[in-house]
Amino acid sequence: MADQPLWNQLIFYFTHNGLYILEQFGRHFLISFYGVLLAAIVGIPLGIYIANHYRLGDFIISIANVIQTIPSLAMLSIVMLVLGLGANTVIVTIFLYSILPILKNTYTGMKNVDPNVIDSAKGMGMTGLQLLYMVKLPLAMSVIMSGIRTAMVVAIGNTAIGAFVGAGGLGDLIIRGTNATDGAPLILAGALPTALMAVITDLVIGSLQKYFEPNNLHKK
Amino acid sequence: MKLFKKIFTIISLLTLITVSGCGWPGLGDSSKDTIKVASLSTTESMIMSEIIMQLISHETHYKTSLVNNLGSGQLIHEALMRGDADIAAENFTGNELITTLNHPAIKDRKKANRVVTKLYKKRFDETWFPTYGFSNTYNMLVTQKTAKKYHLNTISDMKKIASKINIGADNIWINRPDDGYPAFAQAYGFEFKRVYPMQIGLVYSAVAAGKMQAVLGYSTDGRIKSYNLKILPDDKKFFPPYDVSMVVNNNILREHPELKPLLHRLDGKISLSQMQSMNYAVDNNLKEPTEVAHQFLVKNNYFRGDK
Repeated sequence: MADQPLWNQLIFYFTHNGLYILEQFGRHFLISFYGVLLAAIVGIPLGIYIANHYRLGDFIISIANVIQTIPSLAMLSIVMLVLGLGANTVIVTIFLYSILPILKNTYTGMKNVDPNVIDSAKGMGMTGLQLLYMVKLPLAMSVIMSGIRTAMVVAIGNTAIGAFVGAGGLGDLIIRGTNATDGAPLILAGALPTALMAVITDLVIGSLQKYFEPNNLHKK
Repeated sequence: MKLFKKIFTIISLLTLITVSGCGWPGLGDSSKDTIKVASLSTTESMIMSEIIMQLISHETHYKTSLVNNLGSGQLIHEALMRGDADIAAENFTGNELITTLNHPAIKDRKKANRVVTKLYKKRFDETWFPTYGFSNTYNMLVTQKTAKKYHLNTISDMKKIASKINIGADNIWINRPDDGYPAFAQAYGFEFKRVYPMQIGLVYSAVAAGKMQAVLGYSTDGRIKSYNLKILPDDKKFFPPYDVSMVVNNNILREHPELKPLLHRLDGKISLSQMQSMNYAVDNNLKEPTEVAHQFLVKNNYFRGDK
């Protein structure tokens, strides 16, 4: 096998282990997705809250900034000390990394809503909750989505490192490739789908983001 | 604006699912009926893990998950102690005695097996299974050409050229107390010009490419076969036995009694040459450990019940 050109080896690998790659692809995606989902569940409400509390906002965002500066391998090891090995550790790491983009975008999105619009909504007699659901959130949605988009793309890259704590995913293939004698096809078989996943996710969330843009919502 | 309500309902539902402890759908790590198998980052360990996992998931209704790519035996031991894993797929008598158990090396195969079995039960409440049937010992490897040129048939034959040649060895071996390089030099009565600490996966290609005149590799590695390397027999019986076994946490055996007879099906069933060719299939023929394990189980008739 080793004497054949890399391209042939790669095709051979894909045809013989297609099911396995598909399984790892799914696992990889789910790990990233759960981490970002958790971050969205925490980050969006928190972002909405701090948009109304300026001083707290600066403080919380600077904490998220500090978390972001920790290198991913170090973060993974720190989380591992608490949670042990396995997918949970990676999900929590992804969660910590995704907090900043989601939080910051929610914060920015909420603050950039035109005060005149808010005033007129208040003038129409909307309650605080109505104002949030019917005015602020729809107007901020595309900015929030772009935060989720950034978080998701970064998460897919970071999940590959998660293979070091036994979480599985496409990183497994890459690590095995670095250990094997002639690992180039293995490394590519892990890296190409990872890149593909990032690109596809980016495009899908990008179109979602477009859908949520205030002008489009209006037409509908 | 119904859309937003829908989105929020979905998000809160998903939160409920995950918080309520059903684990992460699709990942299956935290469920109670999942048996977690820990694997080293070596090809062989991954094949053995896959064999165990497929055997369990085919013959019982339990799910299995793999904790892959762990760097060392100690890390695996930690994972078992913490409950991050239930089964350690590959453990070596010689290695675990010295590292995990902190016990002096034992050269006698039977005695070593007896001691690890006893100590693992007593200290860690873990069952050390009988060996799979192969042993992954250190082997001195040279190319056929070198062997012919210097008339090398055993390790002792290296004495006359030892001071002129460089060898590559596993980086953990070089400083090991009882069976490492210093003890080796003493037992055989010669030292090499230089011993290079290397990543074990690289030694085979290093000797085949002539970068090293001899290397210390693992006996089960498929690359010994693919590079047609010559194994120099350990004529002074210096290297302790490295029989490979699985270690299982007794908790899991108590909870699921049907696992014990199932796992014992693998006792003594895998020969060295079988393991070599499985490793070769993965390392050289680009097959996934999953595939190789499946083929092994089907071919040797391990799938018996239909659950």
